[in-house]
Amino acid sequence: MKPLLYLGLAVGLMPIQTTLLDHVSVTGVRPDLCLIAVSLIGFFGGRSDGLLMGALLGFEQDLFSAGDAWVNIITKAVIGLSGGLVGRYVAHVTPVTVLPMVLGLSVCSGIAFMFAGAGGPDQLAAVRVVLLPQALLDSALGVAAYWLLAERFKRDDSLV
Amino acid sequence: MFRSTSGTRRVLLVLCALLLSLVFVLPKQSRTLLQTIGKPLADLVAIPLELFSSADRRVGGVWDRYVALRKVEEENRQLRREIEFLRGQAADLREMAAANQRLGALLRFQANTPSQTVAARVVGRDATNWYRGVLLDKGEQDGIQAEMGVITLTGAVGRVVKTRASSSVVLLITDPNNAVTSLIQRTRDEGIIEGTFEGKARMKYIPLLSTVRIGDPVVTSGLTGGFPKGVPIGTITNIQKDEGGLFQTAEVQPEADFTKLEEVLVVTVPRKIEEPPAVPPTEKKQP
Repeated sequence: MKPLLYLGLAVGLMPIQTTLLDHVSVTGVRPDLCLIAVSLIGFFGGRSDGLLMGALLGFEQDLFSAGDAWVNIITKAVIGLSGGLVGRYVAHVTPVTVLPMVLGLSVCSGIAFMFAGAGGPDQLAAVRVVLLPQALLDSALGVAAYWLLAERFKRDDSLV
Repeated sequence: MFRSTSGTRRVLLVLCALLLSLVFVLPKQSRTLLQTIGKPLADLVAIPLELFSSADRRVGGVWDRYVALRKVEEENRQLRREIEFLRGQAADLREMAAANQRLGALLRFQANTPSQTVAARVVGRDATNWYRGVLLDKGEQDGIQAEMGVITLTGAVGRVVKTRASSSVVLLITDPNNAVTSLIQRTRDEGIIEGTFEGKARMKYIPLLSTVRIGDPVVTSGLTGGFPKGVPIGTITNIQKDEGGLFQTAEVQPEADFTKLEEVLVVTVPRKIEEPPAVPPTEKKQP
């Protein structure tokens, strides 16, 4: 079950991210499906799963992005690991606790991108136009995904 | 209900026999007699007959309508299927006609442009929100390399930043990380175009003494990057002069609509290499 799910995500997530998400963009900003998936994989599947899938999906994302070929690998791997840590140490998890988790991870990812120079010289505009709207979209979608997955996968089962 | 005695029954039998014999012996007269006798009976019978007939018509009508409706329903379903099919075909044809028109225009443009180009289709957008980029369905196999310019019918689009065997990534000129050397067409002043987060472009390093005006067209200078000289970039919409600054900065509205990019041309060689005309071998004249 778990390998199939991961394989499906590895193969199917990037085409969706690059083609279909344009139709659901809000003011030109699309949710980062890889970020949401990686944080939830870490949360449900554990730190190592989050780290490895984060690196894999981040690598794919770098292949299909105009940016440097390392920013996504590192940020997504760290996000997967962080999701795993949150899943391990937070005792009582509800959508309300998942919301700040994904929001925080998305904001941290955005800051990493800005440090890597992706935001250009106008940093305030980058925060206003990309970082904050994407963090809000990611957290909203992350909570919805958690809501759906929480019924199917219990954390103790860890996607087995 | 009616209990006839044997005498009455005999009388009735005799009357019936007489009536029948009368019918045979005097057919014409008997018919009139029968009609006269039968008229009240007919009127009497007509009442339930009408009722039954009416009921029958209604039931028959309902039945007929039900049967007919079933047929109509089937026919309706069939027609709906046909309409859906024809609508799909019409949409396909419209899409094909639009694509044909676009590709025809692109081919004409490709034939007229002085550069060598490769046509490519936009198949996706950048995988992150941090870069304004598009993915093309052509790559190194088709002769596309990094730093090549990408144009459309309307103007410059961006430059190739990553290539793989059969796909490539283009950074649009509206990305803040992009920089393209440009020229104000009217004044011939040079500057550098870079993108903004609002989806526009900004021309920097315009000389302070330049007489640039709003509405001036901006084109590629052809000095750097993979663009030939003179490809339209956009139109100046706003000019900023900082006090004490050495340069002016202008906002540029790009010519190309980056939200509707479908087919583009990748400039593989900015200028076509003119082949020398074939010189026919001169015949040496014999003295």
